[in-house]
Amino acid sequence: MESGNGSVDRWEDATTATGSGTGLHDWTEGSFDVGSSDVEILKRVWRNEKAAPDILPYEAHLIERVHEQILLMEDNTAEISKTVDDLMLSIYQMDISRTTFLLKAYLRTRLGKIEKFVMHIIRTPELWERLSEQEQGYAQRYVDALSKHMKNCVLDKLETAYCSMVKQAESSEGDDMILEPDLDTYVFCRSKGAVGSFQLDERGYESVDLMLDDLYILRYRPVQGLLAADRIELV
Amino acid sequence: MYGRSGAELVRELTFDDHQIRRFNHDLFNKVLGEIQEHYYQVSKIMTLLQEENPSGQIMHVDGNYSGALIHHQSLLRNKRCLLSYLYNRAQRIQRLRWQLGAVLPEDVRDLLHPSEKEFLKSYSDILGSYMTTVDLDLTVDATPPKDPYIKIRVLQHIGEVLLGDQTTSLSRNSIHFMKRTEAEPLISQGLVEEFNG
Repeated sequence: MESGNGSVDRWEDATTATGSGTGLHDWTEGSFDVGSSDVEILKRVWRNEKAAPDILPYEAHLIERVHEQILLMEDNTAEISKTVDDLMLSIYQMDISRTTFLLKAYLRTRLGKIEKFVMHIIRTPELWERLSEQEQGYAQRYVDALSKHMKNCVLDKLETAYCSMVKQAESSEGDDMILEPDLDTYVFCRSKGAVGSFQLDERGYESVDLMLDDLYILRYRPVQGLLAADRIELV
Repeated sequence: MYGRSGAELVRELTFDDHQIRRFNHDLFNKVLGEIQEHYYQVSKIMTLLQEENPSGQIMHVDGNYSGALIHHQSLLRNKRCLLSYLYNRAQRIQRLRWQLGAVLPEDVRDLLHPSEKEFLKSYSDILGSYMTTVDLDLTVDATPPKDPYIKIRVLQHIGEVLLGDQTTSLSRNSIHFMKRTEAEPLISQGLVEEFNG
């Protein structure tokens, strides 16, 4: 087996993917590449999500695989407890709870962003597409609950010219009451390969040479594309 | 001074560190009343301007025009203050849902506006059904685990609790060694604390 991504053998997949190599060789065979196991990928995805100001595309397949792996490992705990001593078992359980934490933290981070920028996400098809089906349901229902609350307390008591939740007044140009993520904020990013000379603004005044493992603090807006193409990671 | 009550309302949020206070109905309604007054003034001036100048074009900046503008801006400001107040409180209510679970203690519920209670209920349902569809309880495992087990001290008498596959009696001041996932909800409810002795 080359890496944790294949699923030749589900059980082997589960143990390999957690990346805890030492000691586990008793029941898993083959080598694996630490950088590309599902849990390692999830860790990166979670870090990116945490550091990026806007919401990133949902990693549906990855999340599904990791979730299955966790369930599988939990099921196997009882069986393993017969063959290994308590210390090994506790390490094994530790591994499960760490993976579970990563998974939950990832979903929590996303929900937080969805709540914060919900109106902006709903009106922008590009961002809306980045949500999982469940998250879309969540966002929609959240907006409904929030606007109902706002209407009950304030908006329904205002005159029609002022009763919108997204506009200050009828006469406002555009929707001026919606919170948007600040894409010009700075992020720490590390390049995953040699990107070469990269322009940071449209006019080409500023550019940066991105080499492997370089660490930079850059504005988020210009490097968005690199992140989407998986050429950099945020830390 | 226009807008002062609104500012006062918002300032109330900064008094305490993320705790929820009793909903300030008096001040809230006062600001709502001010909004109505501003609206009344704006429409009165607008009608006046219309009569003077039926074409609707604003020819020059006079007292009437400035007055209408000031009332309009004060109205907007008050509206924003009210909504900020609500939104900020709503966020605190959401946080409580994560910390304390779907049912809030009676003394906290008393602090809320009826509409806030309704919002809490809807939010709780939304979060609950999301967690059911993804088949994960997101409110536990909030901190990266160091050890799957932790030592806790019981702060309030809880009684018999089912932990794992056996029942344990959690009486006040007793110290237990239990799974972190099982201890976390009790910790966030303030029934037990982590014991580092």
